[in-house]
Amino acid sequence: MAATLERQNPYSEAVVTGLWREIPVFRMLLGTCPILAVTAAVKPALTMGLCVIFVLVCSNIMVSLMRKGLRPHVRILLFTLTIATFVTIADLFLRAYQPRMSEVLGPYVPLIIVNCVIIWRAEARASNSGVLLSIVDGLAMGLGFTIALCVLATIREILGTGKLFEIQILPTAFPAWAAMGMPVGAFLTFGFVLGFINYLKKKPA
Amino acid sequence: MLDNLKRFVRESWLLVAASLVCGVLLAATNAAVGPRIELNKAAKLTNLAVGLLPEAKTFAPLDPVEIQGLDGKTEKAVVFKAVADDKVVGWVFKVVGSGFADKIELVAAVDASFQKIAGYDVMTSSETVNFGDQIKEAYYRNQFVGAPTERFNLVGTGTAKPELIDSTIVAISGATISSAAVVQAMNYYVPQFKEQLEKKGLIGNGSNP
Repeated sequence: MAATLERQNPYSEAVVTGLWREIPVFRMLLGTCPILAVTAAVKPALTMGLCVIFVLVCSNIMVSLMRKGLRPHVRILLFTLTIATFVTIADLFLRAYQPRMSEVLGPYVPLIIVNCVIIWRAEARASNSGVLLSIVDGLAMGLGFTIALCVLATIREILGTGKLFEIQILPTAFPAWAAMGMPVGAFLTFGFVLGFINYLKKKPA
Repeated sequence: MLDNLKRFVRESWLLVAASLVCGVLLAATNAAVGPRIELNKAAKLTNLAVGLLPEAKTFAPLDPVEIQGLDGKTEKAVVFKAVADDKVVGWVFKVVGSGFADKIELVAAVDASFQKIAGYDVMTSSETVNFGDQIKEAYYRNQFVGAPTERFNLVGTGTAKPELIDSTIVAISGATISSAAVVQAMNYYVPQFKEQLEKKGLIGNGSNP
């Protein structure tokens, strides 16, 4: 089925790959540093996800445009230059229009530069595909990354505070699990969600 | 020689071109959003200043004064005059210390006569959460509130009482570098700002604020 899809339509293949088959965090285990650091609440997770989508799409476009002139010894240098540029642009916009969120995310926005997902897509997709396919790939992968962040953040925020988007979800009698807001909560949630994803993967259709 | 040059151009023209494009993109973005970022910083400074001198109604920036930065270079710095009912209630300025991870920018406030510290708050800091980050907490900050604008001494936990308001500051356990950065910033900048305001005749004998 997957092979047929790949032959027939590379765009839908890119969407399926980004959103499920190779979803960066849950299937490829890439980009796990920010998912542990910014998923204590949904708002910062969503903001981080949007920044990653912006950087992925823009760097994919630029790498795709340069693909015919890429030389092996400057390849990684060009990818890093491109990614660093768009991460800096995202960071500047965040500091200008969302200063509080910029403070909450702290160094994790500049650290998108070293997010493996972005350089992976530059190498695996954008450096050997057309601009349109690279855009679709960037959007799908970015969306997959954002969904993963939001799933973890939703679980952690609800169990850690009883709230979601600062709206009370659980009964006030529920004792908030403070550990969910700490790194231990991030590791536990990530482990359980990965286990669930593996269960779904192995389950016969 | 010419062959080498041709080879260099052939191999690296894309890198040079991409660097130019990226440079232009960054410069354009910075030009577009830079003023807004500065406005945000100014708004944050004012918000923090309100917390330090709640009685103040306005914070009027004075003409920039020349002070020496941590690197020894002369730099221009702005002092804000905190005013309430046409009366000066304090002075606010930015001080910088070398923290564990990066520079720590603090907003410091002193009383109208520049005799006592009204407090400080953290403007930017990348200190380790739950360790150096505790310079933002009341335990540490309150040691400066009401202390004389003299040279501060940093001592270890257990050697002095943090609740005593004097020039002895008790460090945060496990965050000596961050604690020292705050003391260093105060010791380095406060006397300089005091001297500049005295020169301008805004504090001290015969002052006319």
